[in-house]
Amino acid sequence: MNSDKEILEKIGKGSYGVPDGYFNDLKTRLAAIPEEKTVNPGIWMRVKPYAALAACFAAILLAGNALLRNTASNQKPADQSYTEATYADMISITRPEIIYSAMEYEHEDISDEDIINYLIETGATMEQLAYAGE
Amino acid sequence: MMDDKEILDLYTSGQRERAFREIVESYSERLYWHVRRFLCSHEDTDDLLQEIFLKIWTALPSFRAESQLYTWIYRIATNETLNFLNKQKVRAALRFESLSDKLVDRIDEDPWFNGDQLQRNLMKAVQKLPEKQRLVFIMRWFEDLSYEDISEILGTSVGALKASYHFAAGKIKAELKKY
Repeated sequence: MNSDKEILEKIGKGSYGVPDGYFNDLKTRLAAIPEEKTVNPGIWMRVKPYAALAACFAAILLAGNALLRNTASNQKPADQSYTEATYADMISITRPEIIYSAMEYEHEDISDEDIINYLIETGATMEQLAYAGE
Repeated sequence: MMDDKEILDLYTSGQRERAFREIVESYSERLYWHVRRFLCSHEDTDDLLQEIFLKIWTALPSFRAESQLYTWIYRIATNETLNFLNKQKVRAALRFESLSDKLVDRIDEDPWFNGDQLQRNLMKAVQKLPEKQRLVFIMRWFEDLSYEDISEILGTSVGALKASYHFAAGKIKAELKKY
C-alpha cells in the first residue's frame, strides 16, 4: 500500500484545462436556469383548465373520426383476408399479432441508428440487452 | 461565497433564485471537475452540467435537511453522471464497442488535456476500473472527499468504500507499471 501511495504521490491531480473565461460563462448560463424554467403564471394559468377541456373534446372527435374512416373504407380484398387467415392458422393463438405486424412494417425504413436511439430513449439497460442476446 | 447554511437560510426565507445563484457560485466549478473526470470530455461535461443544475433547481423544494446540502448536490451530480454513462454504455454495446476503450481514446483526443504522460496514463488507468472503484478513487484521491461524505453520497458503508479504494489503488499501480 505504501508503494501505491508513493507512485500516486508523484502524480499531480490537475490534468485538464478549460477554454479561457469558461467558468464565468458557465456560471452566467447556470444562474439563468430559474428564469428560463419559471412559467409566467398570469394568463396561461387562467386559460389552462379551458385549454385542457378543449384538447379532450378535440381528441375524442379526432379519434371517433379516425375510427369511422377506418371501418368504412379500409375493407381488405378477399384474397388478402384469405392469406392472413391461412397464416393465422399456422401461428400461436397467444401471439396472433406477429404475422400482422410483420406485414405492416416490412416496408418501413428503420435504420440501426433509429433502433439504437429508441432503445436508449426508452431506458434499455445492459442487463436487458444481455438477456435479449441470449 | 456563502456556506451551505447561509444558502439554505436564504432559500427558506423565500429568496429561492438568489439561493440557487449562490449554489451555482459555490458548486459549479467543483462539480465541473467531478463530472469531467468521469466523462473525459469538456463538451459532454458542459452539457451534463446544465442537466444537473436544472435537476438541482427543480428538486430544491423537496430537499429536507436530513442530509447536508453538499452531499445532496453531489448525489444528484453523481447519479446524473452515472445515468449518462450507462446510456453511453448501452449505445457502445449496441455497436459492439467498449465504453471504457472509448473513454481511454477520449483522453488522447482531448484538446484540453494539459497533463504530462504520467497523468495521462493515470487517467487511462482510472477509466479501466470497475464503476464502484472508479467512483471511490475519483472522489477520494482527486477530490479529497472524506469516506464519511462519500458514504453519504453513494449510500455505501465506509468499510466497503475503504476496501474499494484499496483494490482501485492496487489496480492503478499495476496498470501504471505497464507503461
